[in-house]
Amino acid sequence: MDQVTMSEFGPLSDPFVLYVILLILAPIGFYEISWLLAPSRPKRIKRMAFESGQTPIPWSFSRYPIEYFPYVIIYVSYAVLALIAFFSVTPLLVTREGALRALIVIGAITLGSFYLSTQIPKLKQRV
Amino acid sequence: MVGEEILPLYNSLPGALQLLMRFIFSEAFVKAVIFPGAIFSTLLGLFALWYERKLLARIMLRVGPLHVGKVSGILQTLADGLKLLSKERIVPENANKALFVLMPATVLILSLLLYAFLPFSPSWIIFPSEIGLLLFFAVSALTPVPLLVAGYASGSKYPLIGTTRLALMLFGYEIPMFIALTGVVLMSGSFNLVKIVEAQSAVPFIIPQIIGFIVFFTTVLAEAERVPFDIPTAEGEIVSGWGTEYSGAYFLMIYLALYEKLIALSVLTSLLYLGGWHGPPIPGLPESIYAPFWLMIKTFLVLTVIFMFRAIFPRFTIEKVLDLGWKYLIPLGFLNLFIVILFVEFL
Repeated sequence: MDQVTMSEFGPLSDPFVLYVILLILAPIGFYEISWLLAPSRPKRIKRMAFESGQTPIPWSFSRYPIEYFPYVIIYVSYAVLALIAFFSVTPLLVTREGALRALIVIGAITLGSFYLSTQIPKLKQRV
Repeated sequence: MVGEEILPLYNSLPGALQLLMRFIFSEAFVKAVIFPGAIFSTLLGLFALWYERKLLARIMLRVGPLHVGKVSGILQTLADGLKLLSKERIVPENANKALFVLMPATVLILSLLLYAFLPFSPSWIIFPSEIGLLLFFAVSALTPVPLLVAGYASGSKYPLIGTTRLALMLFGYEIPMFIALTGVVLMSGSFNLVKIVEAQSAVPFIIPQIIGFIVFFTTVLAEAERVPFDIPTAEGEIVSGWGTEYSGAYFLMIYLALYEKLIALSVLTSLLYLGGWHGPPIPGLPESIYAPFWLMIKTFLVLTVIFMFRAIFPRFTIEKVLDLGWKYLIPLGFLNLFIVILFVEFL
């Protein structure tokens, strides 16, 4: 048989491109099969929101207190710390001096996070 | 030689068929369509579903799937899939129709895309990259977004509550996962998943990084919304959380996507901590076959533990889930990182 070359099938010679095309086709296939097999007898009762047997609430503005809001605020600072640690520690370890600095910084963050974990329950949980 | 026997037959085919045959036997087609691509990942998802149902049935002294398919109801999941596809597609009247319909497809695409970055052996990988781990997590971090949008687009109260719970849980568990991964990257010195596995040829990382493994495994459970971290979809509390309004083909796509993501995360756990494809050689089999075999054995070990949790643990309440993430996993993740730096550089 002829040797298969990378260029013979154009972009389809790349497994990743072929895979992504298949992934896009998969849900279309699901929708198409469902369109062929599923009945369509629309009724309003089918389209009403699920209320679990309770009296339906009509559309309205209502209060929706989000508890544990401090966690969302803490997330922002911790996310930055985690990303800095993730991307900077590996290059730092190239030299012994850099590794020592990384060790001190991570040690300080470790102690700080243990201290913060004792303080979280004292935070106001609802805003 | 088989090739020499086939050659006259191949030469007698028309040009278009020859081209088609060359395409089917090309590396791109085999990897993207058969293994580890579309067919393998879909079959894996269906098998994992059946395996979970059988395992839970055994633990609960039930029989589980039995009738569809000759061997232990093996075709039950396929029958369920067909049933869902043949159900009426219903879009609630309060929903944002476009978003409601598009999100199941989006989450399925993103979940299956994770397999492109997972190596099943040094050569069995769809998209080899020096930053494979980063790419995996870039896509993995995106997978909850369609779920959040789906909950919001449903225009109903239970999905909205589920969406809020999902967001809160993500805030708590993305960070410890990143911190645990930093330890793996440090010890292997690479973001390339193949190199990370090769670095474990002598000792799997679970041994020097047992704390990191516990942190990572817990975050995997939360990322996949598995018991005891299934508060965003908690049946019995908020019906089915962000997925309450979904049925038929939409539900099928979401359900399949969640299992595909769970399996992808289990494969990743095996790659990062359990030595990946390293295992004793199997006589008579080349490495290209026994390497994925060992990886799948380890993956199913991880999956078995995850599935057993569903039968063993009750669901955590939301404050316990958040407390576990913020009060224990993050400090433990940093402690693991501290130990790894000491281990790698100073011991």
